[in-house]
Amino acid sequence: MSVDEAIRLEQAAKQYDAHWGLAPTDLNIATGAFVLLAGDNGAGKSTLLRLLAGLCKPSRGRVLILGQEPHSSSMARASIGLLAHQTLLYDDLTARENLLFYARLYALPQRQARVDEMLDQMGLMQRQHHRVGNFSRGMKQRLALARASLHRPSLLLFDEPFTGLDASAVTHLRSQLAHFKEQGCTVLVVTHRPETVLQLVDYLVILRQGRVDYQAPWSGDMDGFQAVYQGQESKKL
Amino acid sequence: MNFYQRTVAILHKDLRAEWRTKERLSPMVFFVLLVLLVFNFSFELGGAALHEIGPGVLWSSYVFASLLSLNRTFAAESENGSLDGLLLAPGDRSALYLGKMLGNLIFLLAVQLLSLPFFALFFNLSIGFYLWPLLLVFLFGSSSLAAVGTLFAAMSNNMRLRELLLPLLLLPLILPAVLSCVASTAAVLAQNQGEKLYIHLQMLGVYTLVFAVLSFLLFEYVIEE
Repeated sequence: MSVDEAIRLEQAAKQYDAHWGLAPTDLNIATGAFVLLAGDNGAGKSTLLRLLAGLCKPSRGRVLILGQEPHSSSMARASIGLLAHQTLLYDDLTARENLLFYARLYALPQRQARVDEMLDQMGLMQRQHHRVGNFSRGMKQRLALARASLHRPSLLLFDEPFTGLDASAVTHLRSQLAHFKEQGCTVLVVTHRPETVLQLVDYLVILRQGRVDYQAPWSGDMDGFQAVYQGQESKKL
Repeated sequence: MNFYQRTVAILHKDLRAEWRTKERLSPMVFFVLLVLLVFNFSFELGGAALHEIGPGVLWSSYVFASLLSLNRTFAAESENGSLDGLLLAPGDRSALYLGKMLGNLIFLLAVQLLSLPFFALFFNLSIGFYLWPLLLVFLFGSSSLAAVGTLFAAMSNNMRLRELLLPLLLLPLILPAVLSCVASTAAVLAQNQGEKLYIHLQMLGVYTLVFAVLSFLLFEYVIEE
């Protein structure tokens, strides 16, 4: 595996009982790429993200993050930040306590300072001692983003990050995504609202029925995306 | 981060959340007190009943109370998908088991300490005389319940009927430990049965050790699937 590759799938597949969550797939993503992972419901996007995060083991093939298998390698997992459907936060703890807990799990040095920095960056300093259970959806999502990026991961995985957010929260999240890209992080975003991130995207992957249907560098606009997406659809038909 | 620090981080988080909500400890304490109260009115407790049914009543209430807590062991991790956050973090995933197991042990010991004065009251027992040996039995007994219970709580976490399945899976398996708990408590209350007490504590120690090691080995597979 090249050092320039952040993600590599070698015939990686995930099988659930009789059907493929993800059929055997090859995929190479360069370090620092901003990837849009598109596909219909049930196409295998979340399964692919879980494999990349090391949250499940491939039924066959290999998943490599920076040259190591995330399922078994602590070093690989330490380089991943995941913003999932759910926030992965504890409602009974305060915003600060949540971040400090994750900072301890990741053995971050100068934890208090790092947590201060993230709370400030996400605009949550005023609410740091409030329980997360009382937060709005937008505030929870900002805190979840702070949690996902707390340990300065080099690979960030986003699963439908814009769901349930209002316009200002979408703008804030989009600016954070742009910030991660500027910092040289590899970012992979799954979203049903591609228009929110298309300007940042430089690699497009389309999944269809558990298979990679399209993967190529990308620098197009929304119309181009629709053409490619619908083109793949018509090819399928 | 080493294994010990991860374990402490998880334990600390659970204790802090419990201190704030009391959602596990309160039902356990009230359940044990209600069982003791029901037995107090159903039977003529005190005197000979202390030795005949006392230890059984006590440990039955602890076992069923522990099920209330065990069912909630991974509930907080499921509510917002936090379990994924724990599994994603670097380090040995068995630390999650140990942190949760220690949490269950502490909750159970707390319930036992809080309920002991009521047990003494209902059974006309002068607790001071038995206190230290009983605490030893509680420690060994609770460790065995927590060691097995935490693994099965993880197994049943994603099951649809976990409140029903956990007791069905767990109770047959902890029966030997419960019998030893009852016998060792009876030995303490009978006095002058040090040898019997020692044998049952040894059994509980071995039981806890075997299941703790098994749980360490199996936990990663259990928690992922």
